[in-house]
Amino acid sequence: MCGIAGIVYKDKKLHDIGNDMTNMLHQLQHRGPDSAGYSIYGGTGLEENEYILKIQVKENEKLLKKVKDTINFLTPIKNDAILPSVGDSFIYKCKISLNDFSELKPLITKVDLIDDVIVINGSHDFEMIKDVGSVLEIADRYDVRTVKGTHAIGHTRFSTESGVDRYHAHPFQTYIVRDISVVHNGQITNYWKIRDPLERKGHVFETFNDTECLVHYIADKLDTGYSLEEALEQSVEDMDGPFSYIIGTPNGIGIAKDKLGLRPGVMAETDDIFAIASEEVSLREVVDTHHVEQISPGEVMVYEM
Amino acid sequence: MEIDAELLSPREINSQVKAAACEYDKIIIKNPNAKHYLIAGVTEDVEIELDGSVGYFAGSMCDKPKIKINGNAGWFVGDNITDGEIIVEGSGGDGAGQGIYGGTVIVKESVGSRTGEIMKNGTIIIGGNSGFMTGIFMMGGRIIILGDVGDDVAESIIRGVIYVKGEIKSLGYNAKLEELTFEDTLELEETLTKYGMDVDDYSEFKKIVPESTRPFYGH
Repeated sequence: MCGIAGIVYKDKKLHDIGNDMTNMLHQLQHRGPDSAGYSIYGGTGLEENEYILKIQVKENEKLLKKVKDTINFLTPIKNDAILPSVGDSFIYKCKISLNDFSELKPLITKVDLIDDVIVINGSHDFEMIKDVGSVLEIADRYDVRTVKGTHAIGHTRFSTESGVDRYHAHPFQTYIVRDISVVHNGQITNYWKIRDPLERKGHVFETFNDTECLVHYIADKLDTGYSLEEALEQSVEDMDGPFSYIIGTPNGIGIAKDKLGLRPGVMAETDDIFAIASEEVSLREVVDTHHVEQISPGEVMVYEM
Repeated sequence: MEIDAELLSPREINSQVKAAACEYDKIIIKNPNAKHYLIAGVTEDVEIELDGSVGYFAGSMCDKPKIKINGNAGWFVGDNITDGEIIVEGSGGDGAGQGIYGGTVIVKESVGSRTGEIMKNGTIIIGGNSGFMTGIFMMGGRIIILGDVGDDVAESIIRGVIYVKGEIKSLGYNAKLEELTFEDTLELEETLTKYGMDVDDYSEFKKIVPESTRPFYGH
């Protein structure tokens, strides 16, 4: 069991969406106590060629210097900060420029080669925040309630496979298409059948987590001309197992639910907001309506701005 | 008698409801806020009104109370009740009336999948549409759907009957359509009128029953 949530403000303006998503996820805390995470879109304020990196670094001054040197060798760090975290590591956040998005993954791979260093996230149009612990702890730790944006997805994790650590917390992202991320409740039981052809096409998998498989699958579809709705519909046909998952893109969000409807999903919509979540209790934090729609087995819903 | 659920846990709410049910005829619960497991296991003949939506397993395992939910219900509303009545004024999630042994579960708007799964007796009424595998493994009782019903309705049904006024997407294994009788229309009219859900033409209902009562072990 995990909790998933998504929200879009239809006016495309910046709202206190970090606060909204924190409230939504807090109501889904009972669905997943292990970790929680957010992808908050539209509020990064970066120039077209700028990216934010978030890197987990073990407490070690020399190690941080090595990380900085590695990045600076490839592209100058424009500004940076250290975010305090839990355990024996911290999050190093920095802003860089690249000539092209295709340079991002090779840079991340180089940084990842340093021992005791893991790149958590590299993005342009969204800020990914994820960690172990409760929603409220993470929200306080990273000051999430102050983060503004146009839309967001979020997750509370009850791990059923793979490790409980910051890296395996959701969301997961891909570097095939810019700024695509996913949160997922369920299991993809034909994991290898999905992963194998994607790897043959050049997708690099970092984990054995089925959620990573989902985001690669969707990115591959988007990269070959599918709309988000078409990609989600095709995933319902191709994926086996119980699942409901939400994709975030720079333009909006979309949810897909397995054909047997074994994982929950509800939607509520007003003139201002489109919101989806595992349970109504989460929607009620952001939508003042009693009209809640059940997402049917095999159904896909998308809202793009 | 009024209970404000705003700051209470489901366990605290249920404890207070059970204590109040022994003393009062009617209990109003304010701010249920879609919390799970509300009004589980109440066995008193009491009227309970919830002023808002409820989460999963609302009214589960109840016997006798009349529960009115002025909002929506999450998954498995009325799960395993043995008697009494649950009315949801809004929509419901998956598994509405799952496994009921008796009593009546009514959802005025649409519900999710697997409505009335493994129900043994009692009545479930859905004012809107009902999803995939409605009545799966049904072992008795009746389901009345005023809207449309999804794929594989009455999948592996053993006993019981399902009435559908709208479209039937497909029948499940061991389900068959049977001609609606005059007695059926009278029964439907009596049942639906009781809850203010009467329709213009009762002859529009389709009736779904089991093909065989021993579908798995030979006929």
